[in-house]
Amino acid sequence: MMSECQIVIVDDDREDQLILLEYFKESGTDNAIRFFSNGQRAIEYLTGLGETCALPKLIILDLNMPVMNGTETLLHIKRESRFCSIPVIIYSTSENETEKRKCLSLGAVEYLVKPSTNLDAQMMIRKFNAYLR
Amino acid sequence: MKKIVCVKLENDMDLILAHKRAMKLCELTGFTLVAQTSIATAISEVARCAIEFGRNAEMVLAIEELSGKKMLMAVIQDTTDFTLRCIEANRYAERLVSNIEVVKTNRCYQVVLRQKLNYPGIITEAKLDLFKHHFEREPPLSPYDELRRKNLLLQELSDRIEKSENGYRILTDSLPLMMFSVDNRGVIKYTNKWLQHFLGRAPRELKFNDWKSFIYPDDHSNFNKELSNALARQTPLSGQYRLKQDASGEYLWHFFSVIPLKNEKDITAQWIGFVVDIHAQKLVEQTLKDNQLLKEIQNQLVDNQAALQDKVVQLNRSNYELEQFAHLASHDLQEPLRKLFFYSDVLRTRYSDMIDDRGSEILNNMTLAAGRMKELINDLLNYSQLQNQSLPVATVDLKLLLLEIIKDLDVTIKEKQAVLVVVDFPLLRGNPTRLRQLFTNLISNSLKYSRKDVRPVIEISESHDSEKITIQVKDNGIGFDAQYRNRIFGLFQRLHAKHEIPGTGIGLAICKKIVELHHGTISATSVPGEYSIFQIELPMLSESAPVSI
Repeated sequence: MMSECQIVIVDDDREDQLILLEYFKESGTDNAIRFFSNGQRAIEYLTGLGETCALPKLIILDLNMPVMNGTETLLHIKRESRFCSIPVIIYSTSENETEKRKCLSLGAVEYLVKPSTNLDAQMMIRKFNAYLR
Repeated sequence: MKKIVCVKLENDMDLILAHKRAMKLCELTGFTLVAQTSIATAISEVARCAIEFGRNAEMVLAIEELSGKKMLMAVIQDTTDFTLRCIEANRYAERLVSNIEVVKTNRCYQVVLRQKLNYPGIITEAKLDLFKHHFEREPPLSPYDELRRKNLLLQELSDRIEKSENGYRILTDSLPLMMFSVDNRGVIKYTNKWLQHFLGRAPRELKFNDWKSFIYPDDHSNFNKELSNALARQTPLSGQYRLKQDASGEYLWHFFSVIPLKNEKDITAQWIGFVVDIHAQKLVEQTLKDNQLLKEIQNQLVDNQAALQDKVVQLNRSNYELEQFAHLASHDLQEPLRKLFFYSDVLRTRYSDMIDDRGSEILNNMTLAAGRMKELINDLLNYSQLQNQSLPVATVDLKLLLLEIIKDLDVTIKEKQAVLVVVDFPLLRGNPTRLRQLFTNLISNSLKYSRKDVRPVIEISESHDSEKITIQVKDNGIGFDAQYRNRIFGLFQRLHAKHEIPGTGIGLAICKKIVELHHGTISATSVPGEYSIFQIELPMLSESAPVSI
């Protein structure tokens, strides 16, 4: 059995995965992160978890992904009674207001635009970490 | 009974003729000279009485077959009963021939003499014809005989002509065809019944020069032209004209054909006309033509529909492509751009001690270039979204909107120490978001293209009536050359180098698009180095106007 995971990050962008990992490391929460490159893999992982296993404390979802995109994944998670209480944060390149409203109405706790500066990235990690306590 | 020859019995000359004929037939049928003489004498005796006492007597010589036996036969007949006066003659004749008989029928009194034939062979029908022809071909026995024959022939011909004329008259009267003849002076010489019936005029009442009262007024000029031509050249006239039917008062299509009849000196003495009803044919023709036209129109319609369908497909495709582009611009283009920003910022903030001044400058330029690209992408995205969106319409307080825009642009306005003058506006109907974008772009432009060392003054004014409103945005900026007044509204049209005045060349294209979506127009005038005026004309939409544009 793998070590207990606290954060599930679903993003097909390898670079963004590395950036997040680097900033999480900096903040000291790197050892409990699992990355998935699309929604379907993440759902498979979640459903495969044993009844006794502790659930992740946070799911971070990109929107634009192959196979199963962010909104579809969000729908799946919120429909499943076992996982629906896990907070989901959407983080995307898109600044589109319509998209943002849609995600929040589907049950995402937050909609964050992917960082453009060092400061943005640090602030974002801080927000993520807040859900781990 | 086969008739061989006939002789009129009027005078003594006829008697001689009768005798001679009788002799000849006897000779032809094989009688001896003695027998010939006896038989001819018997016939002559009776004929003499007929001449003397009859009124229009005649003698017929014939061959008859009685119970298989052939007989020579002479019938002397008259319409008056001459037989009572020739009992003596009959008695005399009776002795010379085998049989004599008096026959009295209604108005025909006959003495019939018969003599058994002793012909050596068989008298066939052909032979009888030969006998008959013999008498016909026989040269005249005398000048009298010749005269007599010619008279008979003439009589016969005249009978035949009369018969044939009657036949033709019946024919022309019964044909569904109008016929007439007219002389050079326009006097109608002949009309058939159909023509009289159709025009409802007796022949006497018809005058050719009256043609205008029968022919449809619209056809007058054509008919007149053809008629003048025909008269001048003495050539046939033909054409299709509408002729008034007396019974119905309707004008029906007819085919006219009038032919000049020339005499032996090649001079036209009269004209013969035929007029045929072609109305049904004309109707069919017209219907076919209409059908053809209808078919052509239908084909045209089908073609147009197909073309329209093509256009719609094309439009949908380009709309789709545009949407795809918008999607690409919003996600796929923004994604690498964001990373460019992010990495350069990380470089600047985390690795600053490893970069020298020149490096920092390059890094700065890189960030600026990325910034321009971000602006370009956002503008393009904006523009593409305008193409295929239906905009909700609301009542807009333009003055309030302008004041909000000025507040948004506060930083730039303060920096440039610009003065903005806004008048009062009537309430408008339009899309608030897009109108805000329109005036933001125009005011930003005026601020951007201000003259160095001249305090920017931007005046926004209006004039309106119940139909439309005209809004002017006037500045005292650098202006532009008149030749660019249309080009500046095109996509990616820039008049200045990027390092002089930055911009994407999309702003005014967006403005134009927004105005067009509001069914209005935008134009620009300028004096370079003095001012620019952007003038927008929008229709004043009522409250009941559509809820989206």
